Amino acid sequence: MSVLVQEKPDTSVQATATPLLSVDGLKTYFKTSGGLFKAVDGVSFSVEAGKTLAIVGESGCGKSVTAMSIMRLVPEPPGETVAGSIRYAGDELIGKSRREIEDLRGAEISMIFQEPMTSLNPVARVGAQIAEGLKRHKGMTDAQARERAIEMLRLVRIPSPETRVDEFPHQMSGGMRQRVMIAIALACDPKLLIADEPTTALDVTIQAQILELLRSLQDKLKTAIILITHDLGVVAENAHRVVVMYAGRVVETAPVDAIFSDAQHPYTLGLLASVPRFDDDAERLLTIPGSVPHPAHMPAGCRFSPRCTLATSKCTAEEPPLRSVASGHEVACWLAPIEKHGS
Amino acid sequence: MTSTDIESSTPLPRPVGLLRRLASDSTVLIAGGILVTIVAASLLAPFIAPYDPYETGYAPFIPPAFMEGGTSEFLLGTDQQGRDLLSRLLYGTQATLLTGLLGVFFGGGAGVVLGILAAYFKKFDPPIMRFVDVLLSFPAILFGLAIAAVIGPGIVPIIIALSIATVPDVARVTRSTAVVVMSQEYMEAGRAIGLSDRHLIIRYLGLNCIGSVFVFLTLRFGQVILIGAALSFLGLGARPPMAELGMMAAQGRDALFFAPHISTIPSLAIFMIVLCANMLGDALRDALDPRMRNM
Repeated sequence: MSVLVQEKPDTSVQATATPLLSVDGLKTYFKTSGGLFKAVDGVSFSVEAGKTLAIVGESGCGKSVTAMSIMRLVPEPPGETVAGSIRYAGDELIGKSRREIEDLRGAEISMIFQEPMTSLNPVARVGAQIAEGLKRHKGMTDAQARERAIEMLRLVRIPSPETRVDEFPHQMSGGMRQRVMIAIALACDPKLLIADEPTTALDVTIQAQILELLRSLQDKLKTAIILITHDLGVVAENAHRVVVMYAGRVVETAPVDAIFSDAQHPYTLGLLASVPRFDDDAERLLTIPGSVPHPAHMPAGCRFSPRCTLATSKCTAEEPPLRSVASGHEVACWLAPIEKHGS
Repeated sequence: MTSTDIESSTPLPRPVGLLRRLASDSTVLIAGGILVTIVAASLLAPFIAPYDPYETGYAPFIPPAFMEGGTSEFLLGTDQQGRDLLSRLLYGTQATLLTGLLGVFFGGGAGVVLGILAAYFKKFDPPIMRFVDVLLSFPAILFGLAIAAVIGPGIVPIIIALSIATVPDVARVTRSTAVVVMSQEYMEAGRAIGLSDRHLIIRYLGLNCIGSVFVFLTLRFGQVILIGAALSFLGLGARPPMAELGMMAAQGRDALFFAPHISTIPSLAIFMIVLCANMLGDALRDALDPRMRNM
């Protein structure tokens, strides 16, 4: 299903089908008293209409900052997108005025957040919160917006939406609130939905329900989704294409099948090995030693080299560029392509 | 995955209504009852006052009815100019409550706006808060003196002075509340659906701050009444013959040793108003604070 997602990934904007969103060489830095934090340092990827792109990586690797940069929600100062381009439907977002960006947010590009318990305004009824965007972007009247809010609650499968629409967030459970968040995000029919760890804070059974809901809504509404997660199980079931990020850079990008069958970067392999499997007798899970380097003190050469068991002297001296190893599959590692590892 | 049913986890129980929680508190009932009576009596002064508060024709220094030498004709006695003290007390309470309320209203309003703007627009934070610090370093009495010196004494300069004196504390409390609200994820979520700054400030930031700020204003009301009474006592406020509690207390101090009621009765009225306002504010704070809910 996902092999044909994209023949020409990366930077080529002139690709036959213009992607819905293409991010090219994005650099978002934070200037703090502790130094310059290169949270996102030259990230490129693109998302096609109606498809799901997963951005995967450990905490602190720049996933969320990438998402915030697309929405232009990075607090400035201290943050600043210093270079790169973000093209949405062929339109450059960097350099747009605040007003133009506000017009896009919620209407064209929406976002759902990690914490459903704190992402809803506690003093407003959920119906009013869904209506806010509709009134702002679609110029709806209160009555129309309310009608649409009930419709959206039904769409995200909240029971008895006619009464729920007048409830406050504290009267709902976490899973319900995340459904409301999704309803708010999708109310204005955005073409792109950025889901920043949408299920991390939820129970496992509810995670599955929410992800299933997102998939079915994607089928129905043809929304493109950028799914930010650290959970490779979520990736396998939901994504068409995967971007693996490490320390602010893309280390591997491939169709989802290739990530699971033919991962090339030692970091991706490490992530895969640290997922528990039922069909494996190994007594201990493999872990990647160490942690993501501090963004103010990036190692020389390959940023993963201090934690990489395969690192050579070249790895610590020179940073590997992103190279194509197969159609639609790119890796930033001097050792790639490696032999196909055992499944 | 084909499950279409909603998760079965029960929604959170509706928190017990604020009013019911307040009503179950005997402090609230007593303090609230007294305050409501005082306010109602002062509002109804034109109808229930037995005499004209400015009429001077009666015998001066008559003690209250419950004291030796008192007469049931003048329940609280008369003052040094032979005016009925009960009537003056009713009108004076009206003036005192009004100055306090307007002071809290204008000063609180300006303070809330400054605090919210400082928290929302980070670049305005240092100038606004430094300005507030400067305001904070002037005593309210000084403002009262300065303003009265410019536009002459009266009720208006008192209200202005009280407003200015209220601004810094309210601005600081609002800012510290708003800074916490700003760090909540829903502020970002609101921005992510394209809401304007104005909408975010009013509907998101403002509404989430107003609860705790309102409690502070209730507590502040008592202090403002006190400052107002002090300014009037110093002769910067209401001009005679107008009745105002602080001024009435001041005028009675010459007769303190042989007709103490002229000074002490208005003072007691101030004391009751401030005490009840503080108790109500405390109870409101406890009722709104979830950590105190089960105590």
